Amino acid sequence: MAQVAQRNIPTIDDLKVKLCYICREEERYDAPEVPPKAWTHPCNCTLVAHEACLLHWIQTSQQNRSRAANALKCPQCGTAYELESKNPLLLRLMDAANRGLSTMGKVVTIASLTVVVVSLGTGMYIISTAYGAYALKEFLGEEMFNLLLTEDPSNWPWHSFINLPLIPLALIISRLPLDIGVTPIVPVLLAWPTSSPVHSRDRIILELWKSSADVLKRSSYPMLPSWPPPPLFLGLFIYPVVRGAYKVLLTKFSRWVLNTQPEQANAPVQRVVLALNDDGPFRIRIGANLEDPAADRPGRVQAGQADAQPGDAADNAEAEGLPDDAAVAAENTIRVSGTSLGRLIGGALIIPRISSFMGSLLFRMSKHSWVLRRLLAIRPPLPSGLVPPALFPMYDEKAWRAMSTAKQIGVAGVMGLSVMWRGTYAWAECDPVWSASSVSILAAILLTFTRRWRNSLGLGIFTVAKDCLHLLHLWLTKRELESRRVKNRSFEGVDIRELDLINPAPAS
Amino acid sequence: MASISSRRLRKELNEINAEGCPCGIKLLNADNFETWFFSIEVLGESLYQGEVFKLMFRFDSSYPISSPAVQFVVGPDSQAPIHPHVYSNGHICASILGNEWSPVLSVSAVCVTLQSMLASCKAKERPVDNDRYVRYAPDNPKKTRFHYDGKYPHIQHNIS
Repeated sequence: MAQVAQRNIPTIDDLKVKLCYICREEERYDAPEVPPKAWTHPCNCTLVAHEACLLHWIQTSQQNRSRAANALKCPQCGTAYELESKNPLLLRLMDAANRGLSTMGKVVTIASLTVVVVSLGTGMYIISTAYGAYALKEFLGEEMFNLLLTEDPSNWPWHSFINLPLIPLALIISRLPLDIGVTPIVPVLLAWPTSSPVHSRDRIILELWKSSADVLKRSSYPMLPSWPPPPLFLGLFIYPVVRGAYKVLLTKFSRWVLNTQPEQANAPVQRVVLALNDDGPFRIRIGANLEDPAADRPGRVQAGQADAQPGDAADNAEAEGLPDDAAVAAENTIRVSGTSLGRLIGGALIIPRISSFMGSLLFRMSKHSWVLRRLLAIRPPLPSGLVPPALFPMYDEKAWRAMSTAKQIGVAGVMGLSVMWRGTYAWAECDPVWSASSVSILAAILLTFTRRWRNSLGLGIFTVAKDCLHLLHLWLTKRELESRRVKNRSFEGVDIRELDLINPAPAS
Repeated sequence: MASISSRRLRKELNEINAEGCPCGIKLLNADNFETWFFSIEVLGESLYQGEVFKLMFRFDSSYPISSPAVQFVVGPDSQAPIHPHVYSNGHICASILGNEWSPVLSVSAVCVTLQSMLASCKAKERPVDNDRYVRYAPDNPKKTRFHYDGKYPHIQHNIS
């Protein structure tokens, strides 16, 4: 045993024949290569190789990410190769630094991507919020705006940071053809009626609100809605109803004007496609696309001509089949010529401005009309520095505390209902700018809560006006298409002898 | 002086000529050290009984450090076997041709491995992404970075 232990364990140099497992070259012990080549036995099995071959293999494999894992082990027995190299501390430090920098580079890449995304998002958010505040100001009027929001964002209630950026979004969504009933002003109407005035130091709640004899009357909360309708009520009930009714009426009117047939059962699917290009918060769709092909209509031939216009093809493809009617052709013509995404978005974002403009127009007109004044519920502006109480005039913390829990709940419930029904005092007492818009909504119709009201009415009126204009455009286009004729010319300038005439020209 | 690649290939060829190919594998053509052709069939019980396929090996000058490009020949007289790791253009998704290639392997070892890959096949079907892959596949299967884990192969992406 001792002998065995003492016997030299063979090494690579003891082999009779060395076969490189990489290049398959052999070397016999009795015929060494000249110049000599270094051999190595790096593992626990019988594989041997030229050192140069093996290093080449290791180096090549390490450069390939997917192979690197297998680079430093024997393919047969799996033993890890051990490399000896000049690997001073400096090199190892530099390698480590290099790896560290690579890792940091990845971190920086991710971080900068995140920063880009976040800043884009934040930018969008800030712009949306600023736009929301602008829209609100346009829509509610200076007075309400200063009361509810003010120019200073530090005064804003927390929910405004959710509500405001949603306003442009809602405006744009409302103009998409999706029939989900989102109406442009609803977010404004829903978001703000319950918010109480912003508290700032220089504003005092005047005793007026508590002492006025008026207060007793008000605090009884009659079950009839006030005029103008409170925003919540307007947004939730009146506006959708009016809008629906308006749509139906407009459709009927359009059909009558353009002399088209009611659409058929499968039309709605198609309408979504076609209406993508539509403008206006209130969709005007004549819906003549699926006209009965058998219908014998005078407009047909002309519609055929319209089809031939370049640019119409895409629309016709959408419509699954050729439009049979000049009205459709007219619609296509208009849509092809004047629609784009920019128009959709721009049109949506300008709604507050339009509504404000229409509201001020109504306001000016109201100076000459008592009825309009009543309708718009125009009030003198609040005295400066005056802030109406948040919820109800009798609000008194002491009295509130004195109530029993049940009574507190009861009072709170009544208050909630009254907010729903009548709006808060802040809304009720301010010049209902929005009412003009609401009349707009009433026309489209109900948007103008006095200024809000006024602006609402204004927007509605604007919408109606715009729809009428669009209809007129359609009608004129249709008429143009129907009346098209190719101009007839005489054979002036043509050699008569080339023509096969009924009454041949006398040979001259 | 002949390159390492051709010297090693000459040795492999000599071995094949001297000892013959493994059962079921025949050398069809090895006229140069760039492209070799083999016929391959699975002997014994298998889904491919009676089918003979044609294999093409393409070597580059860094063989055996780099793996050979191996694929089944798809042509008038031969088809690629229907196998979950073989695309209909003949490309093969096998790890030993990619990241598990090692110079200890040889041409005949690759043939034997592919033979056993066919022999152990349970169901004759194409890879799930066959159509997509074949449409955009590069001519050389080595340019495809296959993904080898999992029951079915899938392509990570093509380097083209």
